[in-house]
Amino acid sequence: MAGYQEDLFYSREHTWVRVDGNIATVGVSDYAQEKLGELYSVELPRTDAEVEQDEPFGVIESSKSVAELISPVSGEVIGVNEDIVDDIGVINSDPYGAGWLIMVELRDLDELNNLLDAEEYREYVGEEAAIEE
Amino acid sequence: MSARKPQSRNETSWRLLPCRVFRAAENMAVDEAVFRLNRREALPPTLRFFGWQPPAVSLGYFQKTSREIDVETCRREGIDIVRRPTGGKAVLHEHEMTYSLVAAIDHPLFSGDILETYRVISACIVEALRRLGLTPEMVSEGRSAAGTPLEAYCFAAPSKYELLVGGRKICGSAQVRGGGSFLQHGSLLIDVDPARAAAVMRVPVAGISGSTTTLREQLGRVIGADELARVLRGAFEDTLGITLAEDGLTAAEDMLKERLLAGKYGTDRWNLEGKNSPDGEGEPS
Repeated sequence: MAGYQEDLFYSREHTWVRVDGNIATVGVSDYAQEKLGELYSVELPRTDAEVEQDEPFGVIESSKSVAELISPVSGEVIGVNEDIVDDIGVINSDPYGAGWLIMVELRDLDELNNLLDAEEYREYVGEEAAIEE
Repeated sequence: MSARKPQSRNETSWRLLPCRVFRAAENMAVDEAVFRLNRREALPPTLRFFGWQPPAVSLGYFQKTSREIDVETCRREGIDIVRRPTGGKAVLHEHEMTYSLVAAIDHPLFSGDILETYRVISACIVEALRRLGLTPEMVSEGRSAAGTPLEAYCFAAPSKYELLVGGRKICGSAQVRGGGSFLQHGSLLIDVDPARAAAVMRVPVAGISGSTTTLREQLGRVIGADELARVLRGAFEDTLGITLAEDGLTAAEDMLKERLLAGKYGTDRWNLEGKNSPDGEGEPS
């Protein structure tokens, strides 16, 4: 069961960040994959591309919509999850594990202060869910 | 271009852009420009009804051109090809009224939920169809069956909240979300040439007539664009409890539209290959 993972950062655009030194792994949250529905396609940057916090880094399509993926961090893309190209559904089934999207060499660790921890993200999602009622 | 004060989320005056007939590239450039700047420029929710001249086929964002449509037939018949910023499948735009709506993702009427957005907008079109004397159904279904020959052709099978009359699809819609805003646009069929659509989409003719219906078929007449736009406008206003104020694009929207036309929607690189330039806004390289 996905839900939330305590050791991750989250963004208001429903991405998560796992930080290891100055390397960040980025994916979409369980809330995001659930709201999007069955995922069909994803467009990700190439290795060596630069991503910027709060700027689009890719595009994802589900049965309901195309959605821009907004980067939670800035830096250079050093890894892209090639496995999901053939199996997009793993983003639905394992968004925090095998469904990771990109790895980024962080330009500025201070940017992580702009992100939410699991508790804050849980509250933020709770607010969004409340609006939906 | 009028100076516009930032609009609070609860204001009920939305913007209605002029109802025009444009080439496919310009239609998509307008839609994307309005979508991209809506939040940044604090613009009100924006509605547009429009037509396509010459006829065009629009592909969903991720579709593979050669697999989905017959490019040669399009070239020969003078049918434009454009790739949408939204998802979904191929649509032939000829005798139809297309709507596009841009608003904030968290706008109270749409509550941030993708399905709810389809439902709310579909309710407006249902009301318009009722005012024309029809009995539409809004159907919520899972995705269309994979592996069917009509898979590429939008309108082959209902999904999400789709609009049917007499069990056949009369309006299909698609969405894109990002940067705090969403764009949803959709095609309400006035008439269709099944043989032409079949040739372009490379599907059997019977499949098209069996799965879609049109206003001409249901009303027994071809409804004029002015009349249809008027009915749609009233239906949106009354269903949503809003007023539509006619206005044009802002200077910034117009500039972005021109850049998108030149660098994205006017190029084979985007429309046929689906390749965006690095900055994501279709700047010429």
